[in-house]
Amino acid sequence: MATVGIIGSGNAGANTAFFIAEKGVSDVLLYDIKEGLSTGKALDLMEAAPIRTYRTRIAGTDSLEEVLESKILVLAAGSVRTPEMKREELFDANVGLIEDIAKKVRGRDARIIMVAEPVDLLTALFVIESGIPREHVLGVGGILDSTRLRYAVARNLDVSVEDVCALVIGRHNEEMIGLARYTTVSGVPVLNLIEEDSFLALMDEVRSAGDFIVQMAKRSTAFYAPSAAIAELVDALVRDTRRLFSVSILLKGEYGIENVALSLPVVLGSGGVDRVCLPKLKKTEMKRFRASARGMSDYLGRSAG
Amino acid sequence: MSKVSVIGSGNVGATAVYYIAEKNLADVVMVDVIEGFPQSKSLDFLHAAPLREYNVRIFGTNNLEEIAGSDVIVFTAGVARKPGMDRMDLLKINATIARDASRAIARHAPDAVVIVVTNPLDVICMVVLRETGFEPARIVGQAGVLDSTRFRYFIAEKLGVWPGDVTAMVLGGHGDSMVPLKRYTSVGGFPIEELLDAETVESLIERTRKGGAEVINYLKTGSAYYAPAASTAKMVESVVKNERRLIPASVFLDGEYGYRNIFLGVPVYLGAGGVLKVLELALTDDEKKALDSSAEAVREGVKTLDSLYEQKIL
Repeated sequence: MATVGIIGSGNAGANTAFFIAEKGVSDVLLYDIKEGLSTGKALDLMEAAPIRTYRTRIAGTDSLEEVLESKILVLAAGSVRTPEMKREELFDANVGLIEDIAKKVRGRDARIIMVAEPVDLLTALFVIESGIPREHVLGVGGILDSTRLRYAVARNLDVSVEDVCALVIGRHNEEMIGLARYTTVSGVPVLNLIEEDSFLALMDEVRSAGDFIVQMAKRSTAFYAPSAAIAELVDALVRDTRRLFSVSILLKGEYGIENVALSLPVVLGSGGVDRVCLPKLKKTEMKRFRASARGMSDYLGRSAG
Repeated sequence: MSKVSVIGSGNVGATAVYYIAEKNLADVVMVDVIEGFPQSKSLDFLHAAPLREYNVRIFGTNNLEEIAGSDVIVFTAGVARKPGMDRMDLLKINATIARDASRAIARHAPDAVVIVVTNPLDVICMVVLRETGFEPARIVGQAGVLDSTRFRYFIAEKLGVWPGDVTAMVLGGHGDSMVPLKRYTSVGGFPIEELLDAETVESLIERTRKGGAEVINYLKTGSAYYAPAASTAKMVESVVKNERRLIPASVFLDGEYGYRNIFLGVPVYLGAGGVLKVLELALTDDEKKALDSSAEAVREGVKTLDSLYEQKIL
């Protein structure tokens, strides 16, 4: 069975291991800079296995070198936000760690799932610093925003969440763009079922969902939905599910934009991103997407197309 | 735990029980007229339980009284369509079976939701409605879920994507007269026409229309049952877990889409108590025309049914 290496055994990392185990997707190796933490979490998870009947092997290590040998790496390490903090403020705190890992995996045939914030900036940076093809570096952005929109639409309409398909693209912060035309309930476009104003209100909720949870939880950020999103990406990579997910990917000419990472829908299989699917954007949506790209390229000190 | 009784323990019924057990959805009673048959199936299922780790009770019987107190009845009893036989040929035999079962359902499981699988579907639904005397919302026919899952699979296969990401809405009667709504068919939210050209979509629709026949022709004897059973189990799940799924199903129309007094496949919200609401979608002229002819085919079937009643065959 494949082994997924998870760097960072905090809430997001450990719960990702939990969801992967429950789905029986792959074995898991946890790593954390804090000595013993990974081994402790792994043991706790394994001790639940007889009751939950998963057969996945979960282990912990204190060796960064050991975890980096995994073909699939989840980068869930780094600082997380406190209330009143924006995701971008984490850049300085996390950039060193991500650059260090990028250098260590340079040239390897690895699949990277970026969870550390600010996710779009670090996804772009990682591709540039590691030389790993952009198709192999996935940022957990749009998939999380989309799952939140699916939930919001299902709750609003009082229908099964599984029937709701939603697409949120762009930057994983307040600039995210929810595409009503690509949001459906059992194939029925959502605007056939709710007014546009209601959709926009739901998008506002999604936009602020991360902030809301930080403010409520005070000492932690959201991690259940992020972990579920990560586990779903791992599943696609391991089992070649070829699902369509919105992930943050370094752009190479999509909508004429280069060298920044933003979420777009991709078909995901064991080889990473099989193809990027470009939604037809309305003028206003395109304008917002480009504005996000410009803001990011300023941050990265590189020019977007 | 909910109780689901499956009347008819043939391939569709038994495979539906398998899906229900694997998801631990409900305790199950399997009923069939053939002596020993449902008992053998339920025993076989229970022998697999330690390995598959389901913990529902499965009980096989020839006695319809055992359905007492069921939350859901899955009606699959009847003879299967053979090559060259059309659905209406089945009517005479299956309507009689449905009539007798419906009377037992009314007596022993008066609060149940009845999911009808037996063909000709839209007409058998009418038999169940008349003979149980239940309010129409509690009788729902499985057709659209099957047609749409076939359509979804064909699209996924063509595009090389995960079938679960494809959603499709199919209206109308089952099979030949189904009305697929291309505008309401999408892949991860992407409208199908942005991913496939019109000609390809049409060929996939045509394959879906003949989906049942394609399997029958391979099998020589018997008909498809994995996809029909999966479709049925999905509907059972939506009812027992009150999932309120938006799915196409054959339901009794009282003015919706301009039809009255027939069962026809339309999108509905399915949950506890059966059909919660019919969703009325705007249709193009072509779609409405196709739905009209689908409704006409169902009306013809009901006419035949009425004549069986008049001749006291039923």
